[in-house]
Amino acid sequence: MSGISVQGVSKSFGDVQAVQAMDLEVAEGEFVSILGPSGCGKTTLLRMLAGLEFPTEGQISIGGQVVNDKSPADRDIAMVFQSYALYPHMTVAGNIEYPLKKRKVPKAEREERIRQAAAMLKLEDLLGRKPRELSGGQQQRVALGRAVVRDPAVFLMDEPLSNLDAKLRSHMRAELIQLHRRIGRTMIYVTHDQLEAMTMSDRIAIMHEGALQQLATPKEVYARPANAFVAGFIGMPPMNLVDAKLDGDGNLSVFGRQYRFVASDGPGHSGEQTVKVGFRPEDVVLRDDGEAARVAIVEPTGHEVIVVFEIDSARIVGRVSPELDLKADDQVRLAPRVERIHVFSGTDGDRLGGVHSEG
Amino acid sequence: MAGQRSFARKLMFNAFAWTIVLVIVFPLIWMILTSLKPQSELFMIPPGFFPEQVTFEHYWRLLTETPFLTYLRNSTVLATATTLIVIIIATLGAHSLTRFAYPGREFLARAVLFTYLLPSVVLILPLYFLMINVGLGNTLASLVIAYTTFALPYALWLLRSFMAGIPDDLEAAAMVDGASRMRAFVDVILPQALPGIISTALFTAILAWNEYLYALVLVNSDDVRPLTTGVMSMLVTSFNIEWSLLMAASVMMSVPLIFVFVFLQRYLTRGFGAGAVKG
Ligand SMILES: Nc1ncnc2c1ncn2[C@@H]1O[C@H](COP(=O)(O)OP(=O)(O)O)[C@@H](O)[C@H]1O
Ligand SMILES: [Mg+2]
Repeated sequence: MSGISVQGVSKSFGDVQAVQAMDLEVAEGEFVSILGPSGCGKTTLLRMLAGLEFPTEGQISIGGQVVNDKSPADRDIAMVFQSYALYPHMTVAGNIEYPLKKRKVPKAEREERIRQAAAMLKLEDLLGRKPRELSGGQQQRVALGRAVVRDPAVFLMDEPLSNLDAKLRSHMRAELIQLHRRIGRTMIYVTHDQLEAMTMSDRIAIMHEGALQQLATPKEVYARPANAFVAGFIGMPPMNLVDAKLDGDGNLSVFGRQYRFVASDGPGHSGEQTVKVGFRPEDVVLRDDGEAARVAIVEPTGHEVIVVFEIDSARIVGRVSPELDLKADDQVRLAPRVERIHVFSGTDGDRLGGVHSEG
Repeated sequence: MAGQRSFARKLMFNAFAWTIVLVIVFPLIWMILTSLKPQSELFMIPPGFFPEQVTFEHYWRLLTETPFLTYLRNSTVLATATTLIVIIIATLGAHSLTRFAYPGREFLARAVLFTYLLPSVVLILPLYFLMINVGLGNTLASLVIAYTTFALPYALWLLRSFMAGIPDDLEAAAMVDGASRMRAFVDVILPQALPGIISTALFTAILAWNEYLYALVLVNSDDVRPLTTGVMSMLVTSFNIEWSLLMAASVMMSVPLIFVFVFLQRYLTRGFGAGAVKG
C-alpha cells in the first residue's frame, strides 16, 4: 500500500498562495503527472509530499499513513530534482551509495545494489567520475540512479528532463516509461511540458495558480477539458476559444450560425448567458456553407499545415492537409466539427457541455 | 608582426610584474640576510648585501636566552583558539542566515556587519575594564575574546556569501536520501563550504597572529604575551634596538604563517561546487 492521498492541502508563503485547497488521490503504482505553467505551485506541492515544505493546511498521507509530521527521511520516498542536486564532492558511485549509507544498508549489499542500479541506467563506466565530469544527460541518469537504488515506495520527480536537449529528452521519456513499467512504483512527475505529461502518465493533474483544474487520463483531459483553462492549455496549437451567446432555450449562436446546446457531459445551463465555445484546430473543417474567413498565416510542418484564419477580427487556428495548398489572403469558408464543440461558462470558465446539432 | 608585438607586450608585462615583486620582497630578503649576519657586519660602511660570514647565533640566543618560546606558544594558542571559536560560530551562524527564514534575519545580518565597521580602537578601554571585572584581566582568554569580537562579524559575512552560493537542493536531496538536517549540513554543506571556511580560518588566524594593539593593552606580563608585543618589549627599548635579534625573531614569526599558506593554498583555489547544479 503506497498510494498517496492529498486532502485539502494549502501552502502560502506570506502573501503568496502557492497551493490552494488541493485534493489528489494517487493509487499505488500509478504514474501521475502534475502539469501546469511555470509558477503554478507544482514544485511546492512536490516538496510538501517530500516533507521539505510543510502545508499551511490539510493532510498528506502516503501508504495510508498521515505523514504531515514526518521528516523527509521517514517517508520512504525518493526525489529527483530539476537541478539534479548531485553531491559535487562525491563520485557517481558515492552519490548512488549515499541514500543506502544513510539507511544503514550493509556494505556488501550496498555494492550489489549500486551495481544493479548502474547496470539499469548504463552508468557502469562512470562510477568513478565526479558529477562535474559528466554531461547533462549523464548527470540526469545519476540522479535517477540515486533515486531507484533504494527502491522507495514513491518516486517524486521535479521536471527531471527540462535541462536536456530535445533529442535526449524524447529518449529519456521512453526510458522513464520503461523504468516505471519495470519497478512499478508510484510516481509523481512534475512537468510544464504537456507532451511529457500526455505520453507518460496514467493520469494528469493540471494545476493553475495553485489550484487543481482537472485530474484525469490524458485522453479524457484532451477530449473533455474540465474548464476553459485546461482547454486552452492542452493541445498544440491550443483549442480555439470564442465568445458566444446561449439563450434560455439552449440555442447557441457562434459566428451567426445556430447550434443546439446539450449538457450531456457538463452541469448544463440556466437562462441566457454568455459562454465560451471551444474547438480544436483539427476540428476546423472547410465547407462551402461555412463562415467566410481569410487565410492570415500559413505554417507548413510537413505532414500538416497550421493555418491562422481571420473571421472579422477573430483569429481561428486550424490544422489542415497540405493538399489544400492554402496561401495567405485566400478566401475560404469554414466551420467547427459539430460533435467536437465544447461549451464553457463565460464567467468562471467551467465546462457546461457540448453541442448536439446545427440549427 | 602581431607575434612580435605580443611578445614585446608579454616582456613588458613580466618586467613590470617582477619589479613589483622585487620591491615587495626586498625588505623580507633584507630581514633574512640581516638575521644571519654577525653583529659586527650590521653597520658596516659600505653595507654588504650578503653576509660575509653566516651565523645562527641570533636564533640560538633567542631560543635559549629569551622568553621567545613562551611568546611563540602564546601566539599559537591565541591563533588556534580564536580561529576554532570563530569558525565554529560563524559556520553555524552563516548556515542559519542563509537557510532559515525568520523575522529579523536581514536586520540581524546588517547589525553584525555594523559592529564590524566600528573602529576597534574605541572598544579597547570598555573591553579592558570588562575583562578585569569578569576576572579575565591579563589572561590569554581575554585576548581570545577580544579577537573573536572583531573576527566574527567579518567571518560571518564572508561565510554567508559563500554559503548563499550553495544550492538549497543539495541539502534537500540529502534529507530526502535519509539524512537529518544536521547530518545533511555535515555531509553536503560543509564539504561545499570548505574553501570558504579555509579562507575565513586563514583570515582569522592571521589577524590573531599579527594583532598588536589589544595585546599591548590587555596583557602585561611575559607569561601571557604573544609574539608581537613580546618581541617588541624584549628587544626594543628607548635606548637600544637589538637589530639582529629583532630580525631573527621576525623571521621565525613569519615562518609558521608561510607554512600554513603553502599547505592550504591548494584548498583555496580548488574547484568549488562546479557542476553541482545545472540550469
Ligand atoms: N520559498 C518560497 N518563498 C516564497 N515564495 C515561494 C517559495 N517557493 C515558491 N514560492 C512561490 O510560490 C509559487 C509557486 O512556486 P513553485 O511551486 O516553485 O511553482 P512551479 O514549480 O509550478 O513553477 C510561485 O509564485 C513562487 O514564487
Ligand atoms: Mg518548479
